[in-house]
Amino acid sequence: MKKIDLELAVGLFMLAGIVCLGYLTIKLGRMEILGGKGYEIQAVFSNSGGLKVGSSVIIAGVQVGSVRRIVLDDYQARAFVNLPADIKIQEDAIASIKTKGLIGEKYIEITPGGSDKTIEPGGVIRETQPAIDIEELISNFVFGKL
Amino acid sequence: MKRGNLLRAVVFFFLIIVISAQAFAESPTESIRETTDKIIAFVADPALNVPDRAGERKRLIRQAVDERFDWVEMARRTLARHWARRTDEERKEFIALFGRLLETTYLDKVDGYSGEEVLYEGESVDEVYGVVKVKIVTKNETEIPVEYRVKKRGDDWFVYDISIEGVSLINNYRTQFNSIIVRSSYENLVKKLRVKVEED
Repeated sequence: MKKIDLELAVGLFMLAGIVCLGYLTIKLGRMEILGGKGYEIQAVFSNSGGLKVGSSVIIAGVQVGSVRRIVLDDYQARAFVNLPADIKIQEDAIASIKTKGLIGEKYIEITPGGSDKTIEPGGVIRETQPAIDIEELISNFVFGKL
Repeated sequence: MKRGNLLRAVVFFFLIIVISAQAFAESPTESIRETTDKIIAFVADPALNVPDRAGERKRLIRQAVDERFDWVEMARRTLARHWARRTDEERKEFIALFGRLLETTYLDKVDGYSGEEVLYEGESVDEVYGVVKVKIVTKNETEIPVEYRVKKRGDDWFVYDISIEGVSLINNYRTQFNSIIVRSSYENLVKKLRVKVEED
């Protein structure tokens, strides 16, 4: 009788461990079951500058969403962005790819617009600004000086 | 037999109408090219390039720009969230000031024009919105990519934003103006704009 109790305890302990592991995997991997909350919109950039899945989407310095998926579409980068349902993006908002620091990771910054119309779920942010290639700018500057 | 001819004539008539209507609806590139050629003609005209006629030249260029730029749309997009809170008079004043700001910042630079070439690299149209891609090639072969964002009104296209090297003019001013308004007030922004515009 006592032996069964011990085995039961070990079994439960193992089960708890596996549940914790599963939870951590989902949390740390930023995976979401059941698709997550909010809605998805798209933005097309001529150069994504190495934007990654999971990169943050920022408004006024506050992270509001993240990049879900990036695909190559007609040699341009089409990013799918997930936003919470209560944050509306105006039709004339501008999405630009910025860098944390000089060579840090890339993120999308949205500067809100003033239009009455907002972008519907699945819609596209029309105004975008690609990542700025500092190397290219420097080379332009250097050759411009010649 | 007669009826056949009549039908043919009617079809032909409508065909002509359709073709001419399409010829009148310009493409965004044509609209941009028209204005650019006009301005380059003013800038390169040696008769206008004398100190006495500097004011006249500036006026002519500004006029050509006004015909192509949608100042109301530009001002609305620049003020963004703050636009809705402005009265009609404040809006009118802001549109004028914003136009003057761009004029003093950029139009004075056209004096430095020295035969730069403008290459039209293609366009894309999505309903009433369009993008015209242009490359400006300077004398020493530096290429500057410029994108005109245009919106269709009636049969013609009007510029509401310009991106140079991927940096949007509207986004630049939107961020600056927003931070001034949030830190102080709209009145302060207008005051600052006025000082800047009246500097010269």
